[in-house]
Amino acid sequence: MRFINLFIILYVCSIGMTVSAQTWVVPDDQKTVVAPFLFTPEMQKQGEQIYLKNCQSCHGLMGKDNWAKLTPPPGDLSKELAQKQPDGELFYRITVGKAPMPEFRNILSEDERWWVIAYMRSYNPKYIQPNPATKASFAGRIVTLDMKYDDLGKKVVVTANEELKDGQSVHAAGVEVALFVKRFFGKLQVGELKTTNDKGLAIFEFPADLPGNKEGYVEVSAMVNDPKNIMKTTGAIATLAIGKPTDMPSLTEGRAWWATRGKAPVWIILTYTLSVIIVWGFIFYIVYSILKIRKVKKINL
Amino acid sequence: MTMDDNQFTFDKITSDLTHHIRINKGFLIWMGFLTVSLMVCLYAYSIQLRTGLGVAGIRDYVTWGMYLANFVFFVAASLIGMLISAVLGLIGMKWLTPITRIAETIAVAFAAVAGLVIVSDMGRPERLVYVFLYGRPQSPILWDVTVITTYLVLSLLLLFLPLIADMAIIHRKVDRLPSWLKPIYKVLSLNFTDNPQQNKIINRAIRTLLILLIPAALSIHTVTSWLFAVTSRAGWDSTVFGPYFVSGAFVAGSAAVIIAMFFFRKNYKLQNYLTDLHFNNMGKVLATVSLVYLYFNINEFLVPGYKLKRADAVHLHELFAGKDTLLFWVVQIGGLILPILFMLFHRFRKPLPIMLISVAVLIAAWFKRYIIVIPTQEHPFLPIQHVPQNFVHYSPTLIETMITIAPFILVLIIITLISKFFPVIPLHETAREKGIEHFKFD
Ligand code: HEC
Repeated sequence: MRFINLFIILYVCSIGMTVSAQTWVVPDDQKTVVAPFLFTPEMQKQGEQIYLKNCQSCHGLMGKDNWAKLTPPPGDLSKELAQKQPDGELFYRITVGKAPMPEFRNILSEDERWWVIAYMRSYNPKYIQPNPATKASFAGRIVTLDMKYDDLGKKVVVTANEELKDGQSVHAAGVEVALFVKRFFGKLQVGELKTTNDKGLAIFEFPADLPGNKEGYVEVSAMVNDPKNIMKTTGAIATLAIGKPTDMPSLTEGRAWWATRGKAPVWIILTYTLSVIIVWGFIFYIVYSILKIRKVKKINL
Repeated sequence: MTMDDNQFTFDKITSDLTHHIRINKGFLIWMGFLTVSLMVCLYAYSIQLRTGLGVAGIRDYVTWGMYLANFVFFVAASLIGMLISAVLGLIGMKWLTPITRIAETIAVAFAAVAGLVIVSDMGRPERLVYVFLYGRPQSPILWDVTVITTYLVLSLLLLFLPLIADMAIIHRKVDRLPSWLKPIYKVLSLNFTDNPQQNKIINRAIRTLLILLIPAALSIHTVTSWLFAVTSRAGWDSTVFGPYFVSGAFVAGSAAVIIAMFFFRKNYKLQNYLTDLHFNNMGKVLATVSLVYLYFNINEFLVPGYKLKRADAVHLHELFAGKDTLLFWVVQIGGLILPILFMLFHRFRKPLPIMLISVAVLIAAWFKRYIIVIPTQEHPFLPIQHVPQNFVHYSPTLIETMITIAPFILVLIIITLISKFFPVIPLHETAREKGIEHFKFD
């Protein structure tokens, strides 16, 4: 009995793994998503910068078929396989990723993700951009976040406002909000996801010991968590003096083993130079004395 | 075979030790063979130069492949000059006299070629000068380049100094020299006339060199070991790596010297000078340094094996009972333990058996470097995901193998040339030791 259970579990797992290894399904409602603006050459240029920084290491240069040798292969994004997909599908894939392709949800803003697509499309002469989604025709909720810091409670208070069809703005309840601080390699989520209450508030405890810059400033951003992409959302971003002031001299600022040549520790330079001078001094002395051997004869003649 | 000392006359010694200095058919065939082989290997290298290091089996995991193993081996073999000439010589072991030049020749050949071996591992060899232009004094790479250059110059001088007197004797006393050689000898002999003042200068210079040679030689192999030991990788992260490498180097070098002694004795008919006693004694030296090396091996494997830190456990498992098992045990048992056991017995220290043992030891010494360099890299701390199989498992290519063989050919060429045009055994010194005090120089 046990054995059969184990067998079934293994079987299900292996099927699950094979399926997940082969398919990367984009939900139907995502395929039809379109950019909120018309692509401009400006945006393509922005997109190129983002592409070179975030994507090129795996996907290679556009049209060059020189992607990194990974499994599954990333492929050249200027080619048929990627270009035949509608914008919504590309947007979804970039947003959620699939190992080893990273998810860019928290790394690139929505606009930035669209700019990359604009850049990708610039390699497709047949591409005609569908009409941008206008706010008016958007059926879902339109949510804008606002953020402030509550000094007394040491909390970050995020307010979600929703724009109704008639143009009125009300507090939005039931919106999932995530809070991030900018770190060296990307955004770090602070605490758990919070759902806004009736007043449209989500309140985050902010850790007291989170290192900020010299003056304690950290860049904090709030975003709506909308994995299905059914809302139109605008996050909030602010630089607040709520981190722990941290003055960490860069590890390569002073003299160190690992620093550049100009910043070698003095004692290493001295030891190295002295050893070389002493040993080679002896060598030159020996060569000099060898040359003297010739003269000895002349003296003795 | 051995003769009493009083049977050695000056003329006999001179003729015995110099009769091989002539261009004969055997020499030409041998050199022709070496040259052609070298050309073939250089052709392989030209492919690598044009196409890039991708023609070798090295990939992102194992970036130091056979080339680096080869480099470590060459540096190791060159260390013998210091052991024979400096350490044993300064202690005053008189029996060494006929062996010193062989040891120095081997040291010079291997040290000179070691620098080239490292170039074979460079995709852009023309950037070698950057090491000097931009090298960081904090980097063991710069130290390595510095000490190897220094050691090479010291060894060359140490080879040259005792030759001065020999060349003075030869260009005066030996008539049947190739005519183009005579003037070269004359210039290189620096007007030497066995004048006490000249001898004093030479002896002083040699003494200074021998003293300098000890720290320089210790440095070259210690620094080479640091190229590995300053990283925290399993199998390399060790505090005894310096002495481990140095003692291993003595093993390889002593074996190389014994092999060379055997062939010089046979080909150049030096049975009266390289006697059973020398082979017996060199056998003892090899056994001693092998025992020291065994001691460091036990340290290297037992201590991490006792603690079994995770990365070490993976590494040791691959060696002891995994992928590299066969090579590992063949090298450790066949190249170290069995030779030590054999060499305890006098009969195995006779010329032929000790030469055969040395061949086994030397081959094992090369593969030992392979085991030190490669398996560690197959287990990175942060594995790259989804890499092709040939990243994970290193397998050398044919071109790489040929480029690895090239330096050996070059070493043989250098040793052949030096031994062919100069006495293999120090002439002046041997005569002195046989009681011939002064030579008649006109
Ligand atoms: C770590 C490597 C990596 C990075 C960085 C990366 N990708 Fe990918 N990407 C992949 C891989 C691998 C796939 C294929 C995944 C699959 O097919 O399962 C892929 C697939 C895709 C696809 C789907 C292509 C198709 O033919 O279906 C798109 C679109 C895409 N990537 C866009 C991007 C963009 C835009 C960026 C930069 C913002 C990016 N990728 C960065 C590895 C990467």
